[in-house]
Order: sequence, then C-alpha cells, then structure tokens
Amino acid sequence: MTERFNYPPNREALSAARAKALETLLIKKGVITAETVDKVLGFFETKMGPFNGAKLVARAWVDPAFKVRLIADTPAAIAELDFPEGMAGAEGEYMKAVANAPGVHNLVICTLCSCYPWPVLGLPPYWYKDPSFRARAAREPRKILGEFGLALGAATEIKVWDSSAQIRWFVIPERPAGTEHMTEEQLAGLVTPESMMGVAVANAA
Amino acid sequence: MLTHFEQYAVTEMMGDSDQPPRLNGGLCFADEWERTAFGVALALAKNGAFEWESFRHNLMAAISNWEETHALTDSSWNYYDRWLEALEKVVFDSGLATRAELALLLDANG
Repeated sequence: MTERFNYPPNREALSAARAKALETLLIKKGVITAETVDKVLGFFETKMGPFNGAKLVARAWVDPAFKVRLIADTPAAIAELDFPEGMAGAEGEYMKAVANAPGVHNLVICTLCSCYPWPVLGLPPYWYKDPSFRARAAREPRKILGEFGLALGAATEIKVWDSSAQIRWFVIPERPAGTEHMTEEQLAGLVTPESMMGVAVANAA
Repeated sequence: MLTHFEQYAVTEMMGDSDQPPRLNGGLCFADEWERTAFGVALALAKNGAFEWESFRHNLMAAISNWEETHALTDSSWNYYDRWLEALEKVVFDSGLATRAELALLLDANG
C-alpha cells in the first residue's frame, strides 16, 4: 500500500479518542475545567446566535407596538426581552432594525465581518465577506437577490443597508400569510438568518 | 467593540482559510468530538494558555499542508481533524502537556 492509502482503519474513532483524551488530560492537570469548555460552547449554542434575532422578529409579528419600538430604538426594545447579558450591551447598542413591508424589501451588506450583528444573527455565511457579493449587492441588488432565489417584482423597492462599526443592521421580514394560528414560539421557527439579512423572506413552514 | 473572547476568536477566522464550517448562523459539528475539540481550544485561549493567533497559525498550516498532500476531491477531508492536529501542537508547544502524556492516556483508554 502506498502512503496515500495509509489511513488509520477508523479515522473518526481515532479522532474522537484523541479529542476526548486531550480534554481529559487537560482537566486532570487543572489547565481547564469541564465547565469552562461548556461555557464557551454555550456562548455559541444558547447565548449569541440567530435564535435571538428570530425571537425578536416573532415578537414584532405578534405585537405591533413592539415592532414600532424595535425599529425606533432597537437596543431598548431588545432590552425588553429576557435575553442573556450582553445582547443589548456594548455589541447590541449599535444594532438597528429595518422592516420589510408590502412594496419594500431591505437587504443588509457589510464590509467587515466584525460588523456583522452576531448577537442576533450568529455567524456570517461564507459569501457575506466576499467582496464581489458586497459590490454587486450595492450595485444590482435585484439581480443578486434573484440569484439567491428571491425574485422581487419591479414594483418592489429594494433598500440596501451597509453595516459598519457604527450601525449593524438587521431586517424584520414580513410575517408569512397563513400563520395566524401559530404561537410566537412557532413563528420564531420560521425566521432564518437569511431572512434577517434580507437575502430571503420568511416562509410559512 | 468586541467584548466577548468567543466572538473575537471566531470573527477573526471569517473569510480566512481556517474559517470553521457553519450552518444557518451556527457552528456545524458532525460529531461530539468536534464540538469538544472546538470548546477546548477556545477555553484554553480564553484562559490565556496560549495566544489565539498561535493556534490559528497551526490550523492554517495544517490545512494548507493537507491540501498540498491530498487531491481536491479527497473525501477524507475533515476540518476538525486539522483543528485537532493544530490544537495538539499548540498544547505541546506551550508546555501544557506532553505528547507522551497524551499517548499514555490514549493507550490506557484502549
């Protein structure tokens, strides 16, 4: 057999064993604790992510007064909800929401990934930082949305918002038709990160 | 502006060769061990056990080394295999543990 085929019989099992052993060893030596590892992972999985944005949008859908406040003073409206610490803090105070409406569609772009509204949208997709995406989205948003599978009629105005260190935008998509019977929690399940970037709309399941 | 280490660490990777797999705004782990490897690396750097950039340097080197020695279509590619390789290296290099200690534990676990 050549070197090329000389993989361990079960690469996955070996990697799993190595990762586990490394964690165990570092815990045993007192370098880390299981809690610090869990806390780091929890940051991505339960604290900061698109689930926060989805909750805000769902609340805006069921509570028109909240929607008005969310647009007028985004950090204050975010602070109304029971979010983990930091949501409306140093990161959140620069966030601003814009709402889609009949005839108006919003699209958010940014020039630096550090400007991405992470606390509400999670990690940016791979194309977001692509210079050609940003340049084209600013120049020909209708065409680029078409490439994302979102065909908007000529009558729909497209507004493009460029996020920066000063303001990080996110979109409140329109509530899909036929969702009148759904609970706020169920509605949050319809809100994708893409719909909050404005490259998609929210669809009823 | 970035107040959380976790956010800083992953944002730094965005758009570079070492950016982690993502799905719908979240991290994407195929298996529990990948999640463990990710969490251990961030927890260590957050505690100051090593510089995040040192780990990233290893990770980018491991990725480019793999790419140079494998076909583009090689389906055995796994981002977190390279992550684990980079993590082990930074752990040994910074004297947090030795290769022998890890080998001993791996043997003991069978």
